[in-house]
Amino acid sequence: MLFVLFHLGQERYALEAARVVEVVPLLALKRFPQSPRGVAGVFIYRGRPVPALDLCELTVGRPAQENFSTRIILINHGKNPGDQQLVGLIAERVTETLRREQSEFLDPSVQLASSPFLGTVLMDGSGVVQVINPERLMMDGLALMVSNQPLSALNSQSTTEALDASH
Amino acid sequence: MIKRSTEVSVPKSQTSHQASGGGLQALEVLDDCWNRIGVVGDQTCRELMRHIHCHNCPVYSAAAAQFLDRPIAPDYRREWTEHFALDKQIATPAKISAVIFRVGGEWLGMPTQAFQEVAERRVMHTVPHRRRGVVLGIVNVRGETLICASIGKLLGLESTAMVKRQIAVFDRLLVADWNGQRIAFPVDEVHGVYRFHSADLREAPATVAHSAMSCATGVFPWRNFTVGFLDPDTLFASLNRNLS
Repeated sequence: MLFVLFHLGQERYALEAARVVEVVPLLALKRFPQSPRGVAGVFIYRGRPVPALDLCELTVGRPAQENFSTRIILINHGKNPGDQQLVGLIAERVTETLRREQSEFLDPSVQLASSPFLGTVLMDGSGVVQVINPERLMMDGLALMVSNQPLSALNSQSTTEALDASH
Repeated sequence: MIKRSTEVSVPKSQTSHQASGGGLQALEVLDDCWNRIGVVGDQTCRELMRHIHCHNCPVYSAAAAQFLDRPIAPDYRREWTEHFALDKQIATPAKISAVIFRVGGEWLGMPTQAFQEVAERRVMHTVPHRRRGVVLGIVNVRGETLICASIGKLLGLESTAMVKRQIAVFDRLLVADWNGQRIAFPVDEVHGVYRFHSADLREAPATVAHSAMSCATGVFPWRNFTVGFLDPDTLFASLNRNLS
């Protein structure tokens, strides 16, 4: 299995490459007023709006640094094969990949209720890498917003605005 | 070789410590070990035994990745946003593959599938009473006797004075194989395999009265030339008529 490696603050994390649609540079985001923690905004990807989550804000508590190595990892969280529901994950230092077998996964033996999307851990030459579970990430409260269900009148209104701006 | 000032180099432990701090600092304290002990330096690095070249060393690639850990340029976000907002332009792959060769002053192409090999010119044995036709003689290609035919005569191409002036040092023997029939024909030059889109293949101009065009399915542009694209079916049928 191939993993995309990235940093969130000082810690290293991995995401299964099979889930990744594309890794794009840090794009200009349409921000939402009073958006929930971790929701960075929305950007237009190939003609349609895609919401972006800031993984740095979710884990470290600060927005991702605006560096060249900070990128948006696009994943598809569509339930059925064929339907594309994209979401962008903003992460720092997205510059490497790692190849590991399923047998090399280790149970972290601690599961935090505050961040349920952090899964198994992997070892490599420079230390421990934790695998991000995209399903759990989507199941979080953020799923309401990114799956186009109106979270509140304010948020749905700003989504329409972003859509209008794209045309 | 560029002599680097030693101020740039700092102990590795310090580099990694400061680099982990992130930000602008990381760039200024980059340890350019490849210039000191690597392939550009005195090559005393022990890792060279394993990696052969600094390009293969993780220290080198880590340093390269460090260059990305700097703040983005002002227009960076806007430019990429414009790029990714548009639909992806996927170029249609070139479908037709042809071997391009020159006979006299004419550049011709034929599907690559019709060719078996491009051989060197070799001794040709003439066949008695067959001196004027398309058949030039017989040649030995890998122990097999093949008929050697003149494609120029078959297509009615005349060798002009302009062509004669060129030094024919690139001449080759093309071995074509179509439906099991193998024929060798000498050409003045072989460019090689060229791939192009079927959209680039155009009708052969009607004004051209060359009999060459009876074998050509069309023409396609290549460099500054218009290349006649030969149809192997028609070519071999025409050849067989001339053989009998």
